[in-house]
Amino acid sequence: MSDDTPPIGRSWTVLYAAVLINLVVMIAIFYAFTRYFR
Amino acid sequence: MSSLDWLVLGATLGFIVAYGLWKGRQQRNLDSYILADRKLQWPTIALSIMATQASAITFLSTPGQAYADGMRFVQFYLGLPIAMVLLSIFAVPIFHRLKVYTAYEFLETRFDAKTRTLTAVLFLIQRGLSTGLTIYAPALIVSVLLGWNLYLTNLIIGTLVIIYTATGGTKAVSWTHVQQMLIILGGMATALFIAVRSIPADISFVEAVRVAGRMGRLNAIDFSFDLTTNYTFWSGLVGGLMVALSYFGCDQSQVQRYLTGETPAESRLGLLFNGLVKVPMQFFILFVGAMVFVFYQFVAPPLFFNTAERAKIGVSRFAADYAELEDAHRANFVEKRQHVRELVTAMRADDEAGATAAQAKVRAVQARDAATRKAAVDLIKRNDATADVSDTNYIFLSFVLRFLPAGVVGLVMAAIFCASMSSTAAGLNALSSTSVVDIYKRLINPDATEADYVRMSRLLTVFWGVFAIAFAMYATRLGSLIEAVNKLGSYFYGSILAIFILAFFTKTVGGTATCLGAIVGEATVLYFSFFTKTAWLWWNVIGCVVGVIAALVIERLLPNNEAEEIAEVA
Repeated sequence: MSDDTPPIGRSWTVLYAAVLINLVVMIAIFYAFTRYFR
Repeated sequence: MSSLDWLVLGATLGFIVAYGLWKGRQQRNLDSYILADRKLQWPTIALSIMATQASAITFLSTPGQAYADGMRFVQFYLGLPIAMVLLSIFAVPIFHRLKVYTAYEFLETRFDAKTRTLTAVLFLIQRGLSTGLTIYAPALIVSVLLGWNLYLTNLIIGTLVIIYTATGGTKAVSWTHVQQMLIILGGMATALFIAVRSIPADISFVEAVRVAGRMGRLNAIDFSFDLTTNYTFWSGLVGGLMVALSYFGCDQSQVQRYLTGETPAESRLGLLFNGLVKVPMQFFILFVGAMVFVFYQFVAPPLFFNTAERAKIGVSRFAADYAELEDAHRANFVEKRQHVRELVTAMRADDEAGATAAQAKVRAVQARDAATRKAAVDLIKRNDATADVSDTNYIFLSFVLRFLPAGVVGLVMAAIFCASMSSTAAGLNALSSTSVVDIYKRLINPDATEADYVRMSRLLTVFWGVFAIAFAMYATRLGSLIEAVNKLGSYFYGSILAIFILAFFTKTVGGTATCLGAIVGEATVLYFSFFTKTAWLWWNVIGCVVGVIAALVIERLLPNNEAEEIAEVA
């Protein structure tokens, strides 16, 4: 496997973005969870 | 524990040790012993990274934190995914290109031998003590609740780890991590399933979650900015980022996990996978604690979960006073259960006013019961000033032992032992590697053969194992244990991170300025920890920022700007 081509996702940038977007989504879900069940 | 539980526990631990010995056979050179021949693929690396971080304290103390304080602790992990991305971009390519065995080796390439040695020694101190805690913490909780001998429990956990880590090196550690992580996740999922099923049948899962929320146990996100509060969104994002950058980028126990990757891509994917799943996994573990909390709204919890302290006060001159408090606690429970039922009824009827009124009643009884518990703690302390009053750590395992069926108790115990062994093994593995590569090979005996270095690595694994067990024997009364481990790291992480940031992102700062800057950063952290009420997550930020700024200033003040030749490594 070449370092420039990750085995999943089109590029490393896409994978980095996926991790960060996942974090933002998690924070949003946790915040909604906190608010809804308060 | 029943015979079935012993069978499950014994078989699991026996399997792990045997599997580690088998996977780690035939180690003849450092590449093989320290970095598993640099042949591992990303799924193994990812699980190994996760198992290294997931100590038994995580599984014992975290649900207890949710029970006592809600889910705010999840915010501690918010900086972690960002750190995984940053390390994938900046650290992984450099470490791979230089083909280093340890993170500290890189510092000599960039600065000089003294910076490498200083950082390696800081790591050895911090990780040596932490590894002792990772053995001690679960051993203490298990020995208290099961009546086992604490010293013997420490000795058994430590010895099992030493056997396969010393023999098989990193291959044994990484491969057993995979099995251990699967057992841990299986154990926790089973515990959650049974906790939810143990809630009275007339209370649905959604109602249980709503009860937890109404009683302040689902407070996952808090956007308030308060430097004295440990877990807020901001301390988690900024302080947690610093902790994660330092832990995953500069702590050999983690760096060694992804240095085993066959290519930089394998290492990166291992880190990124951790960035994806770590936050939801911690949320899940905290959620187990929240469900245990709901369970105890319908089944009376003990006034104090630590059975050893309860037994001591029961035969002391305060026994009658304590019995009175237990009566008050039982009365509080009966009244609270009634109000929780009213709350559920009001929620079912969509009666917001009724739910709010019931919630207020529940909170009033909760406050009264908190006062009763405080009085009990005061009594326990009066009876024995050295008593362990940090009850949070005992909540989850106490629930497991009392309410989970035979076989499942053994599975959860196996998960706890696996978690303890996985982080301890990674710690010993890294301590040995750093001692051999950065101290023995670099400073004491640079011309030995590969076989000699492997032999010395094995000897040092045993040495650090014995050191960790000895420290575990003496560690007592540390408050909430998971905080103790993270706090210990936070004394050092900021300064170590400052050194690595200067290494990665500056080209003009030399080794002397970097070392002095790190010392100034460390002194500042000690000042803030001892003389202010600044929450410990912020110590990481302070140590790092002060360390970097001090090094930059010192570099300008040094005669001839050190005139050092700085290698181009970035």
